[in-house]
Amino acid sequence: MKILAILRKELQTYFYSPAAYIVFASFLLVVGYLFWVVLIASKVANLEPLLYNAAFILLLASPVLTMRLLSEERRTNTIELLLTSPVSPVEVVIGKFLACFVLYLILIVLTFQYPAILHTYAQNLDWGPIISGYIGLILLGAAYIAFGLFASSVTENQVISAMLTFGGLLLFWIVGWTKNVLDNVYGDALSRLSLLERFSEFLKGMVDSGNVVFFLIFTIIWLFVATRVLESDRWR
Amino acid sequence: MIEVQNVTKYYGNFRALDNISFSVAKGEVLGLLGPNGAGKTTAMRILTCFLPASSGTATVAGFDIFEDSLEVRRRLGYLPETPPLYPEMTVKSYLKFIADIREVPAKMQRERIDKVVVRTALGDHLDRVIGTLSKGFRQRVGLAQALLHDPEVLILDEPTVGLDPNQIIEIRGLIQDLAADHTVILSTHILPEVSMTCKRVVIINEGRIVAVDTVENLEGKSGQATRYKIGLKPASLDWKSAVESVPGTRVEHERVEGELVRFDLCLPPEGGYEGVFKAVVAKGHIFTEITPARASLEEVFLRLTRTEEGASAAERKVAA
Repeated sequence: MKILAILRKELQTYFYSPAAYIVFASFLLVVGYLFWVVLIASKVANLEPLLYNAAFILLLASPVLTMRLLSEERRTNTIELLLTSPVSPVEVVIGKFLACFVLYLILIVLTFQYPAILHTYAQNLDWGPIISGYIGLILLGAAYIAFGLFASSVTENQVISAMLTFGGLLLFWIVGWTKNVLDNVYGDALSRLSLLERFSEFLKGMVDSGNVVFFLIFTIIWLFVATRVLESDRWR
Repeated sequence: MIEVQNVTKYYGNFRALDNISFSVAKGEVLGLLGPNGAGKTTAMRILTCFLPASSGTATVAGFDIFEDSLEVRRRLGYLPETPPLYPEMTVKSYLKFIADIREVPAKMQRERIDKVVVRTALGDHLDRVIGTLSKGFRQRVGLAQALLHDPEVLILDEPTVGLDPNQIIEIRGLIQDLAADHTVILSTHILPEVSMTCKRVVIINEGRIVAVDTVENLEGKSGQATRYKIGLKPASLDWKSAVESVPGTRVEHERVEGELVRFDLCLPPEGGYEGVFKAVVAKGHIFTEITPARASLEEVFLRLTRTEEGASAAERKVAA
């Protein structure tokens, strides 16, 4: 019930400010452009490049969506209101996570027009990789937002929070490249942490339970850390 | 209702509160008084479970602030120094949000919101965006927020700061109304506010309690009844010898106004005004004015916080 209240409040805040609309508009503009360019160039009814591009654009967009979530509460001292009301830090974190995730899902749903367009003009569209790709994109979003929420919990400065999210996510995105340099167990281990490596398998049409669990654990860990950071205010 | 026991709070090496203890009875309005930086806000933040105490503890309505933090928070209304508002929300959606997180049952929310809106005179501003409200109205929204769930205990950190005189009077009136069925702790460094709204005062200076008493007693403590403002219609020119007949009494600031003399009567510390007054009347002089010059709360406050000045800041910093 209190989680719902926080979720509703956060969604209201997104739509009261121009931030959400601007993120929506830029995302759709870029994704639409890429869809058109790739389709004209390749003349193949394949959604894989689009989903890959969308994932990377969302990596750039999600820090903007998450940077405010806890930083602004700290800056304006409304955190004092939340923590002195009978709401637990877990409820605060989950409510905010869900609000941002709803926004992310809206963005994803808005891209359903592209498979629909392909379906209209192409025969025998292969739905398998499209569906698995979307599942990957949704799981990836949860991971992005959880990490962003953590970054937002440690600072009262939105810019720092956004940069931390962007830097951290980018590192988790490309950490798999070590595979080509380190031809040993460490290279392999690092590539297993890579968001890109994991997500690519969804794009190829594979919904591997190991990858699903990876994204879920990644999400839960960062949400947990964010909660602890919020609680730690009480110990200091 | 509220018991604070030996609470000490360090920020790093800095001792913000030093072994604070006091209690507040149900239905009482307690003033937490002290200069800026004395530790008032820290004390309130500890009571509201926002900060932990370094040592010592407190109970609110019988619940420990650390062990039963949730139960304490359910019973508290808190207005921090800067009202915790979301500038992009409207007053109405903000109050609805507060009702949700303060666990006001859905059925009662409308009624509770209507009630606080009337109490804080926000009726015409419900659809305004909080960011566009003036300071006074923001303070009222902050107060509405603290009252919304009808808490047993209200903690108000400088509730009248930044308001204009009319608003200050309104808010003080409101606090006095609330006193009927709430326990209130309010902090302030504005002394008349305390005399007007609080029955009892805790004076804090540099993290220590320097006095806990009723406003009347505090005003009396600093040498009440050893000084009187006197108007006298003398029967003869030697009125002064009659006044000073009691050893240790002095006449100060005497001045003649027509057939009257006015002066300050200073009694020795042990008092003895009966003897003086009897002697004066016996000589046929007539009193036209006797006003006990009681120390104002300002004087008490200055005296109490200045004597503490000797305790230097260095002493408060404890070697780690």
